[in-house]
Amino acid sequence: MDAILEVCHVTKRFHGLVAIDKVTFTLEPNKILGLIGPNGAGKTTLVSLISGTLEPTDGSILFEGAPIHQLPAYRRGLLGIARTFQVMRPFPGLTVLDNVAVGALFGTANSSHGLSEAQEEAHRWLKFVGLDHRAAQRADALGGPDRKRLELAKALAMRPKLLLLDEVMAGLNHVEIEEVISVIKKVRDQGISILVIEHVMKAIQSLSDRLVVLHHGEKIAEGEPEDVLSNDEVITAYLGRKRL
Amino acid sequence: MQLLWQILINGVLLGGLYALMALGLVLVWGVLNIVNLAHGALIMLGAYACYYLFTVFGLDPFGALPVAMAVLFCLGYLIQRYVLNLVIRAPMFNTLLITFGLEVVITFLAQMIFSADFRTVNPSYAGANFLWLGATVPLVRLLAFGVALGLTFALWLFLDHTAIGRAIRATAQNLTAARLYGVNPRQLYALTFGIGAALAGAAGTLYGVVSQINPYIGSGLTGKSFAIAIIGGLDKSIYVLVGGLFLGIVEALTALYIGPTYTDVISFGILVLVLIVRPTGLLGRTA
Amino acid sequence: MKLASTLALSVVVVGVLATVPWWGSAVLVQFGINALILATLAQSWNIIGGYTGYPSFGNSVFYGLGGYGVAVGMVQFQLPFATGLALGVFLAVLFAFLLGLPVLRLRGHYFAIATLGLAEVMTAIVSNLEIAGRNIGLILPLVKGDTLFFELSLALLVITTLTVAWISRSRFGFGLIAIRENEEAAAVMGVNTTLYKILAFALCSIFAAIAGGIHAYWITYLDPTSAFDITLNIKMIIMAVFGGPGTIFGPVLGAFVLSAISEVLATKVTSLASIFFGLVIVAAIVFMPRGFTDLIRRFRQQGWRYFQANIEANRV
Repeated sequence: MDAILEVCHVTKRFHGLVAIDKVTFTLEPNKILGLIGPNGAGKTTLVSLISGTLEPTDGSILFEGAPIHQLPAYRRGLLGIARTFQVMRPFPGLTVLDNVAVGALFGTANSSHGLSEAQEEAHRWLKFVGLDHRAAQRADALGGPDRKRLELAKALAMRPKLLLLDEVMAGLNHVEIEEVISVIKKVRDQGISILVIEHVMKAIQSLSDRLVVLHHGEKIAEGEPEDVLSNDEVITAYLGRKRL
Repeated sequence: MQLLWQILINGVLLGGLYALMALGLVLVWGVLNIVNLAHGALIMLGAYACYYLFTVFGLDPFGALPVAMAVLFCLGYLIQRYVLNLVIRAPMFNTLLITFGLEVVITFLAQMIFSADFRTVNPSYAGANFLWLGATVPLVRLLAFGVALGLTFALWLFLDHTAIGRAIRATAQNLTAARLYGVNPRQLYALTFGIGAALAGAAGTLYGVVSQINPYIGSGLTGKSFAIAIIGGLDKSIYVLVGGLFLGIVEALTALYIGPTYTDVISFGILVLVLIVRPTGLLGRTA
Repeated sequence: MKLASTLALSVVVVGVLATVPWWGSAVLVQFGINALILATLAQSWNIIGGYTGYPSFGNSVFYGLGGYGVAVGMVQFQLPFATGLALGVFLAVLFAFLLGLPVLRLRGHYFAIATLGLAEVMTAIVSNLEIAGRNIGLILPLVKGDTLFFELSLALLVITTLTVAWISRSRFGFGLIAIRENEEAAAVMGVNTTLYKILAFALCSIFAAIAGGIHAYWITYLDPTSAFDITLNIKMIIMAVFGGPGTIFGPVLGAFVLSAISEVLATKVTSLASIFFGLVIVAAIVFMPRGFTDLIRRFRQQGWRYFQANIEANRV
């Protein structure tokens, strides 16, 4: 089956600092790919390169076979790429409902065109993530875990084909993490391909079909979760020295 | 060629005064994040302070300068302490609007008190000039230039080498940390705005000597100060100097080669161009 | 239902206003025309400033271009008023596209200053143009009777407000609001931010230009300082902000209230009119920075504490 996302030798330089160094990997349709690595490895940068907030210095990114690395961010959103932000980006003055409605109005081309349709859609996605009871509240009045639910609902309302999740589980307790895992699996069951950045190891292990490990901007490992997580180089990268 | 040299001299002398005009604006902008639309009005008040000290007390304008600066400092301190401090954490847009309101009030009061007549400050040596390398250099303009440079240098010394100056810079960079070191923001903000107003007052004094004044010159001078600030860059006072000199020379050249009515087109045109192409200014980093 | 009653009330108000020239004094009608034009300007600013979050200090350019389109068209080319208006609108929209593109890339106060700079440049350029009468300006053909201008201004305000109402419930409008709330998030979610910003800018240029054209024809005289009056920018912004930016009726309310109070004070205490404007601005920013509509909403809950709360939130 053709990959839905191909990242080919992508390099990103910021004034001489190499943030991403010739990273290559693919994502198969309807699969979950986990992206892990120590802090500062460049994971969020890589997601920004895929979503269009940044453009690569070198290399190419293909979505459904077509190059997208020079398209502006909004076009990639229209093609079906959605992302959540690690530092969350709600529309603070709007209600939770309207935040999600923006996603339903824009996003892929077959999204709702009228405001009331979009708001109905928004209710559906809010129920999906378990946030519908707060639909009428202002987005900036939400607490941490609810904000993450909102980020997710906004991205899902775009009806994406590819979902990029940036540390959705940070700061959540066990119960909330289990909830998020099941939500993500439900999303995958709807036919969406997912790239997940995560630090919570158990979660990423149970979620991912495959893992990619980033360290200092380079890919140092790729494969099945069990193999990758017992890889010496990966362990050294995280712990600083080999496990004895 | 001779004419070009004269024009360049004119431009440089004007440029020094321009730099002083913009200096107070840049200080307040950089430290307090206040875009002061009333800045030109403060310059105007400085000019009138000088005028009255000269005509009523016979004080030489360059002697009146420190007095005018002191008066404007107090005014600026009070404005910041009791009005602007109340809105300083609101979005910057609000300070734009409130300083516009202040500009209207100040201009109106000035017109009521001073009347709308044009005035100049004419010390006995007003007409004196001397030749330098073939160009006529008016004495007052040279003195004004000297004072402008001196004050710019003094501000730099103050900010870099005195305790208060460093406190101001610290507050600009990190209010929370500065607070932990015992800085009282209310007073510090008021102090900073006061200094900005004092600099405007100094510029006004010099302006009154080289040009005519009336209560309405404020908004034009604010616009010009903006252009200088943006063109030079907002990071250091020395950048303002470059911006002022640049604009002074460009305006002088424009007046000669295109026509005196086009100076505003060029000044504001350059302002817009700089914002579009290089918003950090010719020299500055991101402000 | 709330929508139906608002609609009914608006129709009644507009209907009543439309009859003013037949029973109002000449002074009232003139005041009305000025207020209506200011309200249109405030409402047009609302589109780019209130909804999109880009505070333009240069809408006076569109106003001036509209005025000069009419003036130059009628005086230099003997065109009818409507054609002159079309010319003015064309110039304004052209300006919005050409200069909007580079300037809308700037954020916040840099955008504000850039537009202010543009306003100054246009004033200076036009005062050098022979065809526009240079500094002296142009004198337009005289039309007797203010009724025509009153109805024209009223119609313009109604159309502008209807457009803003449409914006508030449309996909386009939601895109603008998203841009205002968080531009990067909006882009990632599929909003073509560049296109939307320029369209908003062009839209407000149309209404500002028509307002300028009507005004020029009404006062029969135009010169660069009055056509591109920089203080108009501040006035329209104050009115929109005072009334409630990003709302449908806020700017209209703000314009009428401020104009009315200004007019009353001008007749009662003549010398105080201009200083009033300045003092009201200062007081409004300190005590009610979120505008009149916010005041009405929250005063019911908080009473007089509303004002104190605003200060507490924004002081050092």
